[in-house]
Amino acid sequence: MVLEATMICIDNSEWMRNGDYNPSRFQAQADAVNLICGAKTQSNPENTVGVLTMAGKGVRVLVTPTSDLGKILACMHGLEIGGEMNLAAGIQVAQLALKHRQNKKQQQRIIVFAGSPVKYDKKVLEMIGKKLKKNNVALDIVDFGEEEDGKPEKLEALLGAVNSNDSSHIVHVPPSPNALSDVLISTPIFTGDGEGRSGFAAAAAAAAAGGVSGFDFGVDPNLDPELALALRVSMEEERARQEAAAKKAAEEAAKQEKGGEQSSSQDATMTENIAASTSEVDKRNDLMDDENALLQQALAMSMDGPSSGITERDAEMSDAATGDQDLALALQLSVQDSTKDAANQTDMSKLLADQTFVSSILASLPGVDPNDPSVKDLLASMQNQSEQKKEEDKAPDQEDK
Amino acid sequence: MSATESISVIQRSQVDLLDFVDWTGVECLNQSSSHSLANALKQGYREDDGLNLESDADEQLLIYIPFTQVIKLYAIVIKGPEEEGPKTVKFFTNKEHMGFSNVNDFPPSDTAILSPDHLKGKPIVLKYVKFQSVRSVETTDMKGLKKIEEH
Repeated sequence: MVLEATMICIDNSEWMRNGDYNPSRFQAQADAVNLICGAKTQSNPENTVGVLTMAGKGVRVLVTPTSDLGKILACMHGLEIGGEMNLAAGIQVAQLALKHRQNKKQQQRIIVFAGSPVKYDKKVLEMIGKKLKKNNVALDIVDFGEEEDGKPEKLEALLGAVNSNDSSHIVHVPPSPNALSDVLISTPIFTGDGEGRSGFAAAAAAAAAGGVSGFDFGVDPNLDPELALALRVSMEEERARQEAAAKKAAEEAAKQEKGGEQSSSQDATMTENIAASTSEVDKRNDLMDDENALLQQALAMSMDGPSSGITERDAEMSDAATGDQDLALALQLSVQDSTKDAANQTDMSKLLADQTFVSSILASLPGVDPNDPSVKDLLASMQNQSEQKKEEDKAPDQEDK
Repeated sequence: MSATESISVIQRSQVDLLDFVDWTGVECLNQSSSHSLANALKQGYREDDGLNLESDADEQLLIYIPFTQVIKLYAIVIKGPEEEGPKTVKFFTNKEHMGFSNVNDFPPSDTAILSPDHLKGKPIVLKYVKFQSVRSVETTDMKGLKKIEEH
């Protein structure tokens, strides 16, 4: 978040017609410039950026340092290619433009795109570099395009003369199918000396890397903070609700632990549905898998409403059969008292009767081993109970009548 | 010790202007990063003989010191080694954000040629009439500046 005024020196010489960068050197350069402007203005709203061209009829300042991104992008339109690049003059004019910046508190920085051959010799460049250093101006050099003998050395010498405290950088970009902007994103020119990474640059890098966002919920908090906040809040609400349901599940789990009942079979189907819908949301949660299953069971039950009430009671009854006889009697009575959907029960019984289905459900339950003999006994006994329940339900119906 | 000597030279009504320096605006162009202006100016640092202000690329330094209120500047003490200390110092008042190119644009309020005595701590008395209402002072000088005390 360094407060900075930047002047970008564009090379619009004849050498920029070449197509070794996709689509042409000039277009690649323009894209990179747009990206840099965006990154600078995003990292600090008070940053200003200006643009000048080094070739053509002469060095021409297109826009003086401004924080208005639209103005900068507009001036990139309709630029003509021609002439020869004048590196020394370009840098000097950039320095002058920076000197007359409005906010004197901004750090001064020049970014040079050196695409054509450099006709000045090392000595001249070193003197320019020294002058920049003396006036506390940082310099970033993008060496691309024409690869001439001695060009990298000259530019390195210039950088050496300017550099103080690693605030200046040079990047050599050879021709490649990758866009110039993509290569630049990962360089210190964008990341700003490693401190205060621009969220823009990081997001752009992530997008370039193929849509894998490093941020939660796939939304960049910098790009859309309200959406990110809303997502985060809803996630926490969901989590809180799940925790409340988990407490309920813990109580039920103690009873459900011993075997599959009608509710669990229902839960399994519900679980699958829930898992599909919440998988995206839960993807980055650190819930354990078995916790998840428990919670989802609880969710299913809480969502299922009245019908789960029946199944709960049935479950209680099945457990009661293996456990407390008195409790079983009491539960039976309570079931008799409430009018239930007989058809529902029979459906559930049928499901339960299907041994294979139930055993597959059991297998998916955490902490239940279907091959465990006690579980097998339970299954057998449950089948009997389901038949008993049918008879019992018929009995109370008759009694009610 | 040298500090008290210089104090004895000044008249009673004068104070060390260190308290009136606006530290947020203090700048120095062409200083080397390891030997910065703070070494020369700040209380505690400037008494330390080991710390000094050094120039970087060439022998010119541009020091900009703003004050928190309008002051009258009487004298400056600059200490440095004989060989590497400053020789010619130009003073500009109330000019914000000068660069090395501006230095020749307007005449300085005062110019001082430093003798070895000055470098040992003798205060440089300035043309008092030119420094009557000073908001900021810029000095440009040669390398090896050691200590600055203003009165």
